[in-house]
Amino acid sequence: MTREALRVDPVAIVAAGAVTPIGAHLDAFWSGLVEGRDGISTIERFRVDDLRVGRAGEIKRVTLASGDSAPECRATLLLRAAADDLLRRSPLAADPARIAVVVGTALGGVEQLERALDKAGRPSHAAAALYDSPGRALARHLGSRGPELTVSTACASGATALGVGADLLRDDRADLVVAGGYDVLCRFVMRGFDALRSLTRERVRPFDRRRSGLLLGEGAALVLMAREADARGPRLGRLLGHASTSDGAHIAAPHPEGRGLLAAVRGALGQAGLEARDVDFVSAHGTGTALNDRIETTVLKAALGPRAGQIPVNSIKGGLGHTMGAAATLEAIMCLLAARDGIVPPTLGYEEADPACDLDYVPGSARRLRPRVSLSTSLGFGGCNAALVLEGAPA
Amino acid sequence: MTDLQAVGVITGWGEGVEALPADAARAAGSRSLLAIERPRLDGERFRRATRECLLGVAAVRALLEGTGQRPADIAGDGTGLLYVTAAGYGASNRAFVEASTAGTLHFPYTAPSAVPAEVAIEFGLTGAYVIFVGGATATIEALAHAGRLVQRGECERVLVLSVETFAECEDLHARGRWLLGRPLVEAAACALVVHGEGRLAIGDTTSESSALTAEARRRAGETLACEPLIALALGLESGDDRLHVTGDWRGRRLAAEWASPRPARTERRS
Repeated sequence: MTREALRVDPVAIVAAGAVTPIGAHLDAFWSGLVEGRDGISTIERFRVDDLRVGRAGEIKRVTLASGDSAPECRATLLLRAAADDLLRRSPLAADPARIAVVVGTALGGVEQLERALDKAGRPSHAAAALYDSPGRALARHLGSRGPELTVSTACASGATALGVGADLLRDDRADLVVAGGYDVLCRFVMRGFDALRSLTRERVRPFDRRRSGLLLGEGAALVLMAREADARGPRLGRLLGHASTSDGAHIAAPHPEGRGLLAAVRGALGQAGLEARDVDFVSAHGTGTALNDRIETTVLKAALGPRAGQIPVNSIKGGLGHTMGAAATLEAIMCLLAARDGIVPPTLGYEEADPACDLDYVPGSARRLRPRVSLSTSLGFGGCNAALVLEGAPA
Repeated sequence: MTDLQAVGVITGWGEGVEALPADAARAAGSRSLLAIERPRLDGERFRRATRECLLGVAAVRALLEGTGQRPADIAGDGTGLLYVTAAGYGASNRAFVEASTAGTLHFPYTAPSAVPAEVAIEFGLTGAYVIFVGGATATIEALAHAGRLVQRGECERVLVLSVETFAECEDLHARGRWLLGRPLVEAAACALVVHGEGRLAIGDTTSESSALTAEARRRAGETLACEPLIALALGLESGDDRLHVTGDWRGRRLAAEWASPRPARTERRS
């Protein structure tokens, strides 16, 4: 039985900030997506000579607001850069006690654990290794004193964070919520995915017949959310619905028929009070692995019905790599910017159709289209699935 | 409106709140850590699972045994699963960092989602699913989220599960300043939140720890994210009609006030 959630109040998404491998701020990220910029390069920040694959979407340079010294923890650094970008676009005009921070991450401060276990490790490294430490540092940076949460639904974390953040507004636990996701490239995660042989030696080709795996990336993305009635001035759009669900099937692989993801999509549409026919565009998880892309296609066809083939579906991981905890937030932002500018970025790396992946994946170049309602899907280790339903602000 | 039907508790002192000593510090003596042995669970599936994964499964089993329910009663998409931990991923993360070769099978178990994943697989849970990382304040947030999922009709029931292990990282915890008390006591606890007549309110507080939370800390020791659940279990045990628990984590304090949680309906494990 599929359980349809009751409709919830939409939440305004006022502004966004980001730091990514294709652009160090939101505007550069967006122009990079539209132009099809490739952010994949050889990793320079740590040794990769013992790995099968040493390429990823590494951010080569991070700039903070003037006068700020860079924190030692890279996760905190990226979050702070995304926050500075956000604050340039919209100040946090609320009582600090009523500002909440909700961040999602797959890895937290795990790179600091590597340092803590080193002979030269300091006590501060042990505290920084806790997965909620970067989120806590972000709250300090923002000066917020409201609820402070870290969620870790693996690579779906950036979607879950937006959903949980919206609930804090609906429950009147906060007047403003800064929510989003982040993750950094480090030896830990590169060794892990290398051992799983999930990384491709070729380019990332989501939904393509020749797809052979994913590449990782790093980044941070944040949105500023407020209750509709409280949001003043221009906004990017609205979060209409969210659901995070469990597969209950396998520790690492997605359910073979995408059971949990389908439930998440239906749950998010239910929260939004919408039906499949209302969806104009889909931002897919689209990692470029054989299994993920096939399952996701199956789920989208089941969820969207006969119209599935007519709805554009893209994946932005071809140029960014899989930015893990940041991915779903970046994809949500992309949906809203597509609605704002009337253009949908292409699926970089998609060239040859696969009979098992037979939807419209926006090949080649960006497409003139103004999606009002977008669906964004995410999956992660541990049977995690999440879906967001977003609406762009009227042009 | 939500009720707290029951809480299953396993700690380094044994199973259930009845196993807790009157004073953890005194009972621990010179021991700085009370660990829990790897649960002996049947099945090939569990051969590679980490100790913390098995503790999560064992806590849900303890909950079900305490309420006289069968696993089939909670299977399906009507049950939400919210997992909370401050440091339960430390052992698997450390093992992966220190291993000379990265194990294909080990890596997925480094994710905090590994524990709820094993629980979801074991009990067939396919409903709402969120993993909160943090200490006792995160547990209070998870209880609030459980309440809203039930109230909105997205779930018939929600399991709020927490697992905290320390043994493999005791040296790191000793270096950290974030711990609130001693001894460190490993714990796994699971609360069952259902639709009902109770009223759950969450909010910041500057007042002292609640009496129930203070009792949980005094009797159990330091259990991080498990502490509010142990406090709720103590409240249910005593038959209180109003459960007030607080959660502290890294300089913040949150409070949960549960009015009329209907503890009389709870069938306690003898």
